[in-house]
Amino acid sequence: MRELMARRVNLLGAATIAAALLLWEAAIHVGLLTFTYLPPPSDIANGFSELLSTGELQENLWHTLSAAVSGWLMAAVIGVSAGALLGLFRPLWRYSMASVEALRALPVVAFVPIAVLLYGFTKEMEIVVACYAAVWPILLNTFAGMRGLDTRLREVGHVLGLGRAAAFWKLQLPAATPAIMVGLRLGLSISVVLTLVAEMVGNPAGLGFALVQAGQALQPEQMFAYVVVIGVSGIVLNTVLMAIARGVFRGQMAAAGDAA
Amino acid sequence: MSAMATPDKTSTAATAPATPGRGPGRRRNGHSGTPVRGLLPLIALLGLWQLAGSPDSPYYPPPSEWFAATRPLVENGTLLPALGWSALTFLLGLIIATFLGASLGILVGASRVADRALGPGLEFLRVLPAASLVPVAALILGYTMEMKLAIVVLPATWPILLTCRSARRSLSPVLLDVPRTLGLSRKERLTKVVLPAMTRPVLLGIRVSAPLALIIALLVEIVTRINGLGALLGAAQANFESAQVYGLLLIAGVLGYAVNWLVTLLEDVVSARMGTATG
Amino acid sequence: MPVHADQKSAAVPSFTCENLQVTLVGAAGANVILDGIDLTVARGEFVSVLGPSGSGKTTLLRVLGGLQEKSGGTVRSADAPVEGPPADVVTVFQDYSHSLLPWRSVRRNVALGIESKLTKPECAERVAEALTMVGLQESADEYPWRLSGGMQQRVQIARALAMRPSVLLMDEPFGALDAMTKASLQDQLQRVQELTGTTVVFVTHDIEEAVYLSHRVLVLEGRPAHVGLDLAIGLPSPRDQITTKESPEYLALRHRVYEAMGHGKRHA
Repeated sequence: MRELMARRVNLLGAATIAAALLLWEAAIHVGLLTFTYLPPPSDIANGFSELLSTGELQENLWHTLSAAVSGWLMAAVIGVSAGALLGLFRPLWRYSMASVEALRALPVVAFVPIAVLLYGFTKEMEIVVACYAAVWPILLNTFAGMRGLDTRLREVGHVLGLGRAAAFWKLQLPAATPAIMVGLRLGLSISVVLTLVAEMVGNPAGLGFALVQAGQALQPEQMFAYVVVIGVSGIVLNTVLMAIARGVFRGQMAAAGDAA
Repeated sequence: MSAMATPDKTSTAATAPATPGRGPGRRRNGHSGTPVRGLLPLIALLGLWQLAGSPDSPYYPPPSEWFAATRPLVENGTLLPALGWSALTFLLGLIIATFLGASLGILVGASRVADRALGPGLEFLRVLPAASLVPVAALILGYTMEMKLAIVVLPATWPILLTCRSARRSLSPVLLDVPRTLGLSRKERLTKVVLPAMTRPVLLGIRVSAPLALIIALLVEIVTRINGLGALLGAAQANFESAQVYGLLLIAGVLGYAVNWLVTLLEDVVSARMGTATG
Repeated sequence: MPVHADQKSAAVPSFTCENLQVTLVGAAGANVILDGIDLTVARGEFVSVLGPSGSGKTTLLRVLGGLQEKSGGTVRSADAPVEGPPADVVTVFQDYSHSLLPWRSVRRNVALGIESKLTKPECAERVAEALTMVGLQESADEYPWRLSGGMQQRVQIARALAMRPSVLLMDEPFGALDAMTKASLQDQLQRVQELTGTTVVFVTHDIEEAVYLSHRVLVLEGRPAHVGLDLAIGLPSPRDQITTKESPEYLALRHRVYEAMGHGKRHA
């Protein structure tokens, strides 16, 4: 947050991006870059407006984002509660943490073929994949946040005579909020990526499939337009999530500085 | 294996916002501290699966079937070369990403102007999901090893570049004055002071990049079916060989563990050489 | 090859500044820090620079050490103009923890400045000599981060001494240390200085330390700063933490410096 404030408007940065785009454009027209399927930025802009006017873009964007966000929401519920339980109950942690770590270490993309086998070429499959991928960072960060509670704060709980439940709601959960937010942010970006993968490999719909299709149809300008849309929507999702978090958990987020 | 999109710096430090370049050197994410008995639920689950699962189930073939279904791949000599290809793509990609990320990161971090000018562009490329580049690279570079490498290198570079950039930016100015007042040459300043000071941030970046590179390597192979473990996985799924898919997933997992173990080993070796100091 | 202090003619001063001006460019624009500084530091002299915080003491030292560019006037080290760090001038920084390389042992930290200029045995000999001077022979193979703050600062001083400089520039070297450690390091520095005849320019905010150690004390004043007071300290050497500090001469000198720093005058 502080970093953002300090940066305000980075004109130099914007100018550099503009210059890079111009250079790209010029290099293709002059013939310095001669990949057959590398379009100049102006073509990409045309491709973008084309997709926008046919409504394809909006439709695909909605499909992908709704799948990713539903998966992420499920993951948030599962991950935060499981992480909190693991953080609160030592025996539970002792008898399951190694399993969690073992499962987490399996490469997520390798699960996509299994999800395709189990759920077929459906949106359900996309949601399951997104959820599975997003659960791990959310769970582990929640757990770490619960665990990382300052001993001083724990003592405050004892001094004030808070019961176990009260200590959880008033101390542990708020103190873990920044860490949970980190997990939620990571989870969100991962769920978007895995939704895209699921669409590329499995369900023929959404941005992921559109990308592959544009590639097969030899329409690089549309493909690049999609890539830009994907990048921008990731940034937008993240910004929205952070704005919500700052509004809802003002105190906790501010106390944590730029942790989340 | 937390992320596919290049995660930002916060992912490495779950809670505390670690000051880059400094901070506690030996942060372990509890691997050593996790009791092994925690594996019991997983083992119980697999055991139950084995006992209750039907060997013919198209969805949940029991573990014994996984091995049976994967064996032919070993026998007809496709698994080992596939593993080799995946490992090669991963390793080459990671090495290139390390050199690229470290040198660019140090250069960008050394200059305030470069840092400001390139910051937003780098930020955009960082959040751009690597997965979305697979079709792009396939179209531009064709279905080749170079294409595979390019896709692996790009996302794996960011974590290293960004940690090096912020570590270089926050490098103590005193540390840079020392070689000057001692009359060291420019080259010595780089090799004796700056590069050693960057070792830790590079490793921190590799810790994030290595799993990412492996995932991306598998992903490229699954999507494009270019030789490798991911290609086998994709093919097995397309042929509805569910038991084989599970078996290959397990092998991918082992590869993932090996990568993790190697990175941890590297960190330990470097920690032992460089001390746990502030840096 | 650094030339040892006593090999050079004592007639040429270590530093001469004429009408020196230094401008620092910060976030708020250019800022003149030092202006009209005239200064001569004789060979073998121990000169302390005092001044209120933010008065430009450190900037002056960095200019002498060639780490900071001047914006006007002249600075000469021995008889050559200062452009970049002069070969036989070494700066010792206050921030010892960041000026030692944590991945090198004490021995190799001390060798940093000489290892590529000397043969191995020569280098080892110099390192051992420097470590003996600061009393750190025992800790040669330790890593700096295992040592206390005082010991780390001694490593930094040893690293400077290993260069056999004719001038040591010290920027509040004992500023971050506790009183006991500080006193013992002051005495050690005193002995080393007498032994080697090295010129020392010593920046500090501690008036007693300045009077106790120096042959001459300079006080910077004003904004931009100039040399306000230039006071010779005629106390006999070697000095002693107890007897020197109780002597009436010491107390009188200390009084003058306190006054020059603005105490009792109600301004600044």
